[in-house]
Amino acid sequence: MSKSRAHIWFVSPALFLMFVILLLPILVAFGISFTSFSLGNSGAEFVGWKNYEQIFTRSTYEKMFGATFRYVLTVVPLTVALGLGAALLINSLTRFGDLYKTIYFLPVMSALIAMAIVWEFAFHPTIGIINSTLERGCGTFLENWGWYAQGCEKTFPLWLTNRDYAIWTVSFIGVWQGFGFNMVLYLAGLTGIPKELYAAAEMDGAKSGWERFRLITWPMLGPTTVFVVTISFIRSFQVFDMVEAFYPQGGGPSKSVYVMMFAIYEKGIQQNLMGVGAAITVVFLLFVMFLTVMQRWLVERRTHYV
Amino acid sequence: MSNIRLNTITKKFGTTDVLKGVDLDIDDKEFVTLVGPSGCGKSTLLRILAGLEQPDEGQVIIDGKNVTSMRPADRNLSMVFQSYALYPHLTIRQNMMTPLKLRDLSTSQRLPLIGPFLARKEYKELFSQVDRTAKILKITELLDRKPGQLSGGQRQRAALGRAMVRNPLAFLMDEPLSNLDAALRVHMRAELTQLHQRLGATFVYVTHDQAEALTMSDRMAVMMHGKILQYGSPEDIYQNPANVEVAKFIGSPAINILSASVNDYAQICIQNLILDLFAPTQEPNITIGARPEHLTFCDDNPTALTGFVQHIENLGADLYYHVKIKDEQRPLIVRSAAGNGKRHQIDDLVHVKFDLNSTLAFAADGTRLQTHRKLMDELAS
Repeated sequence: MSKSRAHIWFVSPALFLMFVILLLPILVAFGISFTSFSLGNSGAEFVGWKNYEQIFTRSTYEKMFGATFRYVLTVVPLTVALGLGAALLINSLTRFGDLYKTIYFLPVMSALIAMAIVWEFAFHPTIGIINSTLERGCGTFLENWGWYAQGCEKTFPLWLTNRDYAIWTVSFIGVWQGFGFNMVLYLAGLTGIPKELYAAAEMDGAKSGWERFRLITWPMLGPTTVFVVTISFIRSFQVFDMVEAFYPQGGGPSKSVYVMMFAIYEKGIQQNLMGVGAAITVVFLLFVMFLTVMQRWLVERRTHYV
Repeated sequence: MSNIRLNTITKKFGTTDVLKGVDLDIDDKEFVTLVGPSGCGKSTLLRILAGLEQPDEGQVIIDGKNVTSMRPADRNLSMVFQSYALYPHLTIRQNMMTPLKLRDLSTSQRLPLIGPFLARKEYKELFSQVDRTAKILKITELLDRKPGQLSGGQRQRAALGRAMVRNPLAFLMDEPLSNLDAALRVHMRAELTQLHQRLGATFVYVTHDQAEALTMSDRMAVMMHGKILQYGSPEDIYQNPANVEVAKFIGSPAINILSASVNDYAQICIQNLILDLFAPTQEPNITIGARPEHLTFCDDNPTALTGFVQHIENLGADLYYHVKIKDEQRPLIVRSAAGNGKRHQIDDLVHVKFDLNSTLAFAADGTRLQTHRKLMDELAS
């Protein structure tokens, strides 16, 4: 080995920046999470695990975890499944594929905060297009459905302000907004499957589309799927702007849409309780870290073929 | 087992005619090669036979049954692809099991976990079938590996194994050796020929390599521009090509082509040399073809061409001399056994004579002309 130290000089700018803008903030947040620090307050006390204790005992945070997991566990499977379905359908088209790609990708490109306003109008209980459309169905066979009949009799749900519906409505918008992104990733994955494999499967006797999907498409998309699922998890853990747009105060009807990112913002910025905010951030980072490690492990263990 | 007939197959991709009415008859247990330059439609023809492409017109008939509109899966043919197309996520054993499972097991028996439990006897039979095939191909120790862990030659065998395991009516092979290195390719040629004899099955083999076609096949079809130019045994095609394109494509180094003329006595003349060879044609301008082994060096005489040695290719056993003849664009290539007589050096003046029994003549449009050593009576008058 030569004694030259040039390599240190080459990597040091990157290492320095990585430390200053990635690692240091995490370490600082980790440190703050054990204090009662708040911005503008010169003195901060060391409070040990108290902030974390709060997170795992108080009912507000129980609601926070409930809303977050409801959102994540609805949005992730649906965006992945719809993304794959749309990609498969578009891939089978000979014409208009690009048109559909654009249509499905539009929500991804648009600013969610602007879209939230549009959806807010659409879901408006009286003038919104959704409830007024539903009302037109009253008096038809649809009334055989109990839920529908009830809606006609009283009112259709206040989608965004009813405690029982709010989180699912928000999840629906999340799915609408997110699956186009997964579709693009899956389309890229599909182009990587050699056409000859399908010819081989056909010769081997795989007659139905389902058999070909099971034999080739799904396993060959394995690496893509691992990536798509991880990205979807991280993106849905990060949901914030929509909640902020719909419910600037307090995270929805009786905190039913009080997702983690919003909680960090509310505690840390709005209420200036930096200690608690930092503690939630650390818990959030742990989730993301766990997902990333899972992804690395899966990629290396199971889905790496060649 | 099976004979295969292709009836006036035509196929267009967009506005390009890929196949222009191809007829082909393949007998049972025959090894037939489709050979031609790239883009001649040979692979498309094979894919139509397999059912992976639909012909625009014409029929595919297997054992007297019209299968043109039948799905590939129902034709019971198996195919080895150029890229092998092994399923990369499955082991070789699972790869070889796939065609058996898809054909011989019901949907419920194919279910993961429960399937093998429900149909233990069937699975045992299939596994032993895989083992038997693996033994024939000597790939038993590779069965538990995945394709990514195998070398090119091993993958080739695995792909053959997947094709063989279910006793198909015929094997279709699309340039299966073209991804192997030269030494392995020569070795696999011999192995495939032996396998063909051992299995006694029909093989349809596509290649662009005329050497593969000549060495392996019972009959070969030379294809160009979407047509079969000639179909026959390798010896026949080599010695009696039907036209100048076939003659040029088959044989390495390529046949020497010289422009020639026919004089009033129907004698063939090259430049000012009059050969003792007659062609019954009214056209004055023809071409003649002579393979490198049908040219020999001789002393200066009126029936020999004179030129300079331009380049010498030494292949060990044989030497190929490139002889530049005045007014000819391409040098003549002359084969000479290495231990045979005097060695010429570059720039030597040499005289080349034709083996008139093997010299071929072609009309201006490329079709073959019959040649005679004696002037025929009707032409003499």
